Amino acid sequence: MSAAAPVGITLRRVSAAFRSPEGAAVAAVRDVDLVVEPGELLTLLGPSGCGKTTTLRMIAGFQEPSSGEILIGERDVTRVPANRRDIGFVFQSYALFPHLTVFDNVAYGLRIRRKNSDEIRTRVTEVLALVGLGGFERRFPSELSGGQQQRVALARAIVIRPRVLLFDEPLSNLDAKLRVDMRTEIQRLQRTLGITTVYVTHDQEEAMAISDRIAVMKDGSVAQLGSAEELYRRPASSFVAGFLGRANLLPATVRESGGGNVTLEVAGTTITVVSAIAYAAGTKLNVMIRPERISIGPLGGPLDGEIVSRVYLGDKAEYVVRVGSATLQVIRADPPEGETLAPGMRVGLTLPREGVQLLP
Amino acid sequence: MAAAVTARGPAQSDPFRVAVIVTLWLLLGLFVLYPLACLLVRAFSDDGGFTLAPIVGALGNPTHLRALRNSLVLATLVGMLGTAAGFLFAYTVERTDMSRGAKRLIDLIVLLPLISPPFTTSIGFVFSFGPRGLITHDLLGMQNAQVYGWASTTCAEALTYFPLAFLALRPLIAAIGGDLEEAAFSLGGSRWQVFRTVTLPLTTPGLGNAFLLIFAASLADFATPLILAGNNLPVLPTDAYLQITGMFDLKGGAVLSLLLLVPAGLVFFAQRYLVERRSYVTITGKIGGRAHGAGAAPAVRWLLWAGCAALTLFILYLYALLVYASAVVAFGANGTPTLDNYRVIFTEGIPAIQDTLIIALIGMPLGGLYGVIVGYLIARSRGISRHMIEIVSMINYALPGTIVGIAYLIAFNDPPFVLTGTATIIIACYIFRYSPTGIRTTVALLQQVDRSIEEASFSLGASTLRTFTSVTLPLILPAFFAGLGTVFIRAMTAISATIFLVSINWTLITVRILENMTEVALGPAAAFSVFVIVVVLAVTSLLNVALSRMTTPTLRVSSVGTAP
Repeated sequence: MSAAAPVGITLRRVSAAFRSPEGAAVAAVRDVDLVVEPGELLTLLGPSGCGKTTTLRMIAGFQEPSSGEILIGERDVTRVPANRRDIGFVFQSYALFPHLTVFDNVAYGLRIRRKNSDEIRTRVTEVLALVGLGGFERRFPSELSGGQQQRVALARAIVIRPRVLLFDEPLSNLDAKLRVDMRTEIQRLQRTLGITTVYVTHDQEEAMAISDRIAVMKDGSVAQLGSAEELYRRPASSFVAGFLGRANLLPATVRESGGGNVTLEVAGTTITVVSAIAYAAGTKLNVMIRPERISIGPLGGPLDGEIVSRVYLGDKAEYVVRVGSATLQVIRADPPEGETLAPGMRVGLTLPREGVQLLP
Repeated sequence: MAAAVTARGPAQSDPFRVAVIVTLWLLLGLFVLYPLACLLVRAFSDDGGFTLAPIVGALGNPTHLRALRNSLVLATLVGMLGTAAGFLFAYTVERTDMSRGAKRLIDLIVLLPLISPPFTTSIGFVFSFGPRGLITHDLLGMQNAQVYGWASTTCAEALTYFPLAFLALRPLIAAIGGDLEEAAFSLGGSRWQVFRTVTLPLTTPGLGNAFLLIFAASLADFATPLILAGNNLPVLPTDAYLQITGMFDLKGGAVLSLLLLVPAGLVFFAQRYLVERRSYVTITGKIGGRAHGAGAAPAVRWLLWAGCAALTLFILYLYALLVYASAVVAFGANGTPTLDNYRVIFTEGIPAIQDTLIIALIGMPLGGLYGVIVGYLIARSRGISRHMIEIVSMINYALPGTIVGIAYLIAFNDPPFVLTGTATIIIACYIFRYSPTGIRTTVALLQQVDRSIEEASFSLGASTLRTFTSVTLPLILPAFFAGLGTVFIRAMTAISATIFLVSINWTLITVRILENMTEVALGPAAAFSVFVIVVVLAVTSLLNVALSRMTTPTLRVSSVGTAP
């Protein structure tokens, strides 16, 4: 559907200042540098108040940055209003026009672009079929389910063949099952159309499932940018480690370092892990270990601990284990039938050599 | 987070919007601020410049002082009586599982005084309690009954304005129902205890609000005292009018009208304050959980019904009397049926009818549009400009009509803006005085329309103007129609401001009714009143039909005709 070659989006030192009710200036977004590659789906992920929605609204043109510049392709759009940016925006609330039918909602942008009625009919029919809503043309938004409304919002945004597609938490009003279906569908459509897309969510699973790359935001800045796997395996900070998936963060001291290995003192024991970086002996740092990488078994491992709690979840079991003064989360996939581990029992833990991230 | 942004959206600075705001300020300046300034200058200046002498003189004058005191006492009495009647109706409708038919009847009864010319109740009182009145003379056989004075004026005004209290109180009582009262019942309260400890305290801010609404209306009422007060009960609006028309003392009239300004202003701000921090009840916004008719004990229920029925019958009786008087040769003397009175209004009266209809039909769309545009700007702008527009656009509405009328008379009599004697001045007066209903309804509706709906339109490439016409306007259509309805009704029925603005070229039905009353031509006065009521009912019904045709079923909100 999208004939033109996809374009990138560039943010250069973009900031947004808000005024708090007390009158103090608060930076919601500060000095964000970001390049969205042509055709990719990039997600802005972060907790509420991190500036992700503000960043998206500045790309859309609903809000002007207080400083910095925004480019869509080669064009500087910093001062260009939303209606001349050629964007498609999908709102959290869907924002369907309640007084218009599904057909008229989707046709709205085409009518603004003064397409003739034959073309409008063809394109609306085509796009409604694409989102699986053929036959719903005459309905009003209030006569549709939440998922259907979401599809209309999507159809309305893509039918104009925008240069960039922007999503603001589009799935947060849907139930869990529908959310998974819709995100698959959004991803499929985005791949088919090849439209450069920025997607905002606070749901890390959604972000990992849908994105080519993820920008994790914190306090108005990008904390880390990378693919889901890069972020999960090699988080650059304890914030990213904790926000994407679950992580054990333990203070550690370097004993010796060299030859691609680091020996650390952690939780009262000594482990040797793989590391490309060499550290001076005595350096204090944090180690990040994913719960599923710790193996749990009978006493006698390198680490002894006591089980505080056990939650059985079918495909996995989650434990909290106290080791000395530290508390570790441990996940065991597919726990064997008849496993007898219970709170109060002492167990042995084995820490991995790889997949341990050293954080400053 | 989205609120209070300094990084302004582009919509804020677009040229169309700027043009609209500049035009609006020019209009507000010309038709709100300039007349008021002229009035103040006239009242506070003499040959030697600024002076307080006239206002001090007025306050030192026993006659004027008495008028001020009378006005305040009358407004207080009317406020209390009207609030009580409004509460009786509202509580009965919401709490006594009335039949639907009875509720319909009450809705109609409440609507009637709102859409009638201001003399209607007064005429009914004269017919009933005057020297040849149906009740005093025919029924009780009294000779030379005296209808004029405190009692009749108070009662007539209370009957005219109690619908304001009903409309303000009814949603409040509905919202208190259900859960809150049931919670009190479940804790062991008796019906009376629940009423006293839950219902009444929660309604108190609403009662205060209703009282102030009626107080303000009575304070500004010009028509009822003119007919019913008589010589022993001078009030400020009529005093100011007589000062100007009887003694040709424009300055004296201006000063007298200003005596109204302080109490009117105080009441306006007190009422706004009450409404803004309305009550604990509406915070959740849920009107669900209605009472299941469990409010009142059976005996109390019968009492409430009896009270409502008595009032309803009396109001119906007054209107029946009006229709009867319009269709007989001479009320009280010759009961022969005739259409002469209607012949008179459709021959001699035709210029007034034509003028009024022309003015109402021109003012209606302009006022409706003005209300929607100003409401939009208020709801969708931020900062100082928004508050300024909000306040200034309310001024002519909040001021008593007498002040506005005299201000216009002073402002537009001399260059640079000579408008006296034109239709323009009357239309402008109606638009800027009666559009705030449309403004407030627009603001209320827009607060329910998520901003993202307009942003969706921008993102699809629409300009501000296009977004307004094809998205926002359809969504606030009910407010537009509410504005149309109010401006039309007021243009057909108002008199307090525009009595100063009529001329040989342009006159109004309400002014003709007043003239008929003073000439004791009661038949034509009644016929005119009936005509106005019929036209207003017909037009508001048409507006309701048009509104329901033009909106999709999901957006249908009836809003025409009931707003004061």
